[in-house]
Amino acid sequence: MANEILQEHINKDYEFGFTTNIDSDTFAPGLNEQVVTALSKKKNEPEWLLEFRLKAFRHWQTLPEPSNWAHLHYPKIDFQNISYYSAPKVKPELKSLDEVDPELLKTFAKLGISLEEQKRLSGVQSNIAVDAVFDSVSVKTTFRETLSEKGIIFCSFSEAVHEFPDLIKKYMGTVVPYTDNYFAALNSAVYSDGSFCYIPKGVRCPMELSTYFRINATGTGQFERTLIVADEGSYVSYLEGCTAPQRDENQLHAAIVEIIAHKNAEVKYSTVQNWYPGDKNGKGGIFNFVTKRGICLEDNSKISWTQVETGSAITWKYPSVILKGNNSVGEFYSVALTNNMQEADTGTKMIHIGKNTRSTIISKGISAGFSNNSYRGLVQIRKGATNSRNFSQCDSLLMGDKCGAHTFPYIEIKDKTAVVEHEATTSKIGEDQLFYCKQRGIDNEKAIGLIVNGYCKEVLNKLPMEFAVEAQKLLAVSLEGSVG
Amino acid sequence: MIAEKSNTAQLIIDKISSSAEKVNFIDNDQLSKALLYLENKGIPNNKHEDYKYCNIDGIFKKEFRNIEQKLNSVTDVAQYKLKDALTLVVVNGNYSESLSDKLILKGLHLTAFSNLDKEEKKLIGCLANVESDAFIALNTAFSGAGFHLKIADNEQLQMPIHILYVSSANSEALVNPRNVIELGKNAEATIIEEQICIGTGKVFTNFLSEKFVGENAKLTSYTFQNEGANGFSVNTNQVTINRYGKYDNTTVTLSGALVRNNHNVVLAAQNCQAHLNGLFTTRNNQLVDNHTLMDHQMPNCESNELYKGIITDKSTGVFNGKIYVRKDAQKTNAYQSSKNILLSDDATINTKPQLEIYADDVKCSHGTSTGKIDEVAVFYLNARGIGRESAKKLLLNAFAQEVINKIEVDELKEKILNLFENEL
Repeated sequence: MANEILQEHINKDYEFGFTTNIDSDTFAPGLNEQVVTALSKKKNEPEWLLEFRLKAFRHWQTLPEPSNWAHLHYPKIDFQNISYYSAPKVKPELKSLDEVDPELLKTFAKLGISLEEQKRLSGVQSNIAVDAVFDSVSVKTTFRETLSEKGIIFCSFSEAVHEFPDLIKKYMGTVVPYTDNYFAALNSAVYSDGSFCYIPKGVRCPMELSTYFRINATGTGQFERTLIVADEGSYVSYLEGCTAPQRDENQLHAAIVEIIAHKNAEVKYSTVQNWYPGDKNGKGGIFNFVTKRGICLEDNSKISWTQVETGSAITWKYPSVILKGNNSVGEFYSVALTNNMQEADTGTKMIHIGKNTRSTIISKGISAGFSNNSYRGLVQIRKGATNSRNFSQCDSLLMGDKCGAHTFPYIEIKDKTAVVEHEATTSKIGEDQLFYCKQRGIDNEKAIGLIVNGYCKEVLNKLPMEFAVEAQKLLAVSLEGSVG
Repeated sequence: MIAEKSNTAQLIIDKISSSAEKVNFIDNDQLSKALLYLENKGIPNNKHEDYKYCNIDGIFKKEFRNIEQKLNSVTDVAQYKLKDALTLVVVNGNYSESLSDKLILKGLHLTAFSNLDKEEKKLIGCLANVESDAFIALNTAFSGAGFHLKIADNEQLQMPIHILYVSSANSEALVNPRNVIELGKNAEATIIEEQICIGTGKVFTNFLSEKFVGENAKLTSYTFQNEGANGFSVNTNQVTINRYGKYDNTTVTLSGALVRNNHNVVLAAQNCQAHLNGLFTTRNNQLVDNHTLMDHQMPNCESNELYKGIITDKSTGVFNGKIYVRKDAQKTNAYQSSKNILLSDDATINTKPQLEIYADDVKCSHGTSTGKIDEVAVFYLNARGIGRESAKKLLLNAFAQEVINKIEVDELKEKILNLFENEL
């Protein structure tokens, strides 16, 4: 009975599935050294960056495509059939918002992102600085001036390459080298843009920084890089959101995010990932192969990942923290929801190297429809990481009998003083819980929303407020017609 | 992931083909499949997901470069016998009638594989798929002998059966013991399988057992491994449980240079139960790897796992447990727990508890924890006049007893307790 009602609710469509008709400048599909060079030229990049790209590309060519170690099934990706550059045709050197293509502004308005620097309604203090990446190119960064007063650098990756080459050279590829994995190598060769953020010593970033990614053009892939450097004693909270139009084809998204936290610094990275998940029959949708990693380079630093994953046909993503500094802290809070034919293999890696390092992993998986949802995580305590501590909790919620929920934790401990705990459970929404709600006049759909939100509360609580509201709605929408 | 090919398998085949007895109880089709699998896939190394923490190819290359198969005969096993059990002795894979007790128990039938009739021979290899694992393939290709132990329908054995597997050689050797244990409808039996390794040579024991638990039957099995520094072993247990059947196993590993246990249990019908318990202690450079699979195929079944490890010196402990719940297996209850204590700076523990679940109305959970000896507890005991060392022993003893107490054969329990205390 509950199953039927859930079925009804799962059928909701993807609400961000519109396309924007703007002229864009797109490369013909194909990938070779010429394409990489042309891309670099197009972006007017210095020689050293082209070298880096070519090195990455040559390395990528030597790598075999990953065999199916993840619990995912997807058709072979034809890398020659993807266009590696697509940019909205805009006038160079935009001076003000008026010059931005109005179609583009409409798109962002539809997405609910205010590119205009307007103060929020009374009472809400937190303004958010946004860097919007449309297809492959960063379109507009807001609040840049306000931030620069504090010495904070927040701009598109391409700008940073020209304006702050020393910082980019110093940090790019240090956390995720191009040799890291197949998709990281690909990204390093063909990444088109992204965001760069640098918080100077002792500065507490006064607002949330945010990147919004949108794939628009057809036949393209999106390859962006984000690099966040938090210098000594600084703090930043960073948000990332993503959507894509509804298309029958599968589009590839292969990004890299690198975070570096120096002494006493703290970085909080939150993602609401809502790429187009494909239709009910599994047609279309984004293939999301992302390498995200942060390093607590020095003592007392902290990196925290929070993610709400509801989109993508295929999700392959393991935001990780390398706890190198003593007393450093890594956190991972995740809600991953899969519906229809979606498949997700996601989790984290916590590598303890420094002394007294601590990590917490809370992962909540929800699978509905015909989907498969896996948690795959690594907790590694290296020798010498004395008094390290890890706690992991991975819960899965199954809705319906056609889906799967899986847990694959890897726990490797080489230090006797470490204390590591891991627990995982799998269950469904209890009939008694539903009954309790219904008895009190809450209809089935709302009850399910309520229970799921309660189930994810520990994670949603970690999101910045604006995002938490969005995430809750997203969960409700993604589950419509699915729950049993 | 397919393991990178290495020539170890070919070397083994070449070295032992000449001395191995001709296998006459498995059809040629299976034999050639097994050999082909071995040649193609090789002996797994750490690139192989199932052997990620147990690089057997590497161990073979290091420890078994000169397999000569100089096997010893064994004349006396009296010291290993249990008083209140019927002892069966298997020496280097061959059942020894002279060393074994008379089969006086009612309802117990033991037949060598080669004496089975055509229908019965079909049981061999029925659970162990030669193309699923290199060691099943290796055993299939070279186990020259083996036996079928059957407990007849409705029979409850009055006495535990103690099967003693003795490996003994004066050179590097590889032995492949194999058996099929079958419990008929409503039958009940307790079977103790003990593995020891005597002699001066290093022996690699590749053991394979297929166990059928019939309808409403109950098999209580104990595996006791104490092979010492010369003993290397891969032990595969393929178990299938029928309706209302119950399978309990407790595996205690006190020594062995390499011990890899593949314990695969299929809950193949409704309302059956499986319980696996394990305790291992490792020291020096030992590696103990417990690999379990609970395959829930049908509804209303229950499984439980508890594995505990104490790891010292430079040794490594591994626990890899998978709970697999198929689409039809609604109302499954499955629990798994792994607890480990590290006692030295160079010790390593790798755990990989997995859940793979395709049915929604289930209760499944796993938990794993690793830590050191609780200093607060040590202090509590110190304050009561118990020295540090004794306090530690006491705590480790308590930690291990949770598993050891599952053993219902008193004589075996005491023997293991004594040996365990000596180990500390």
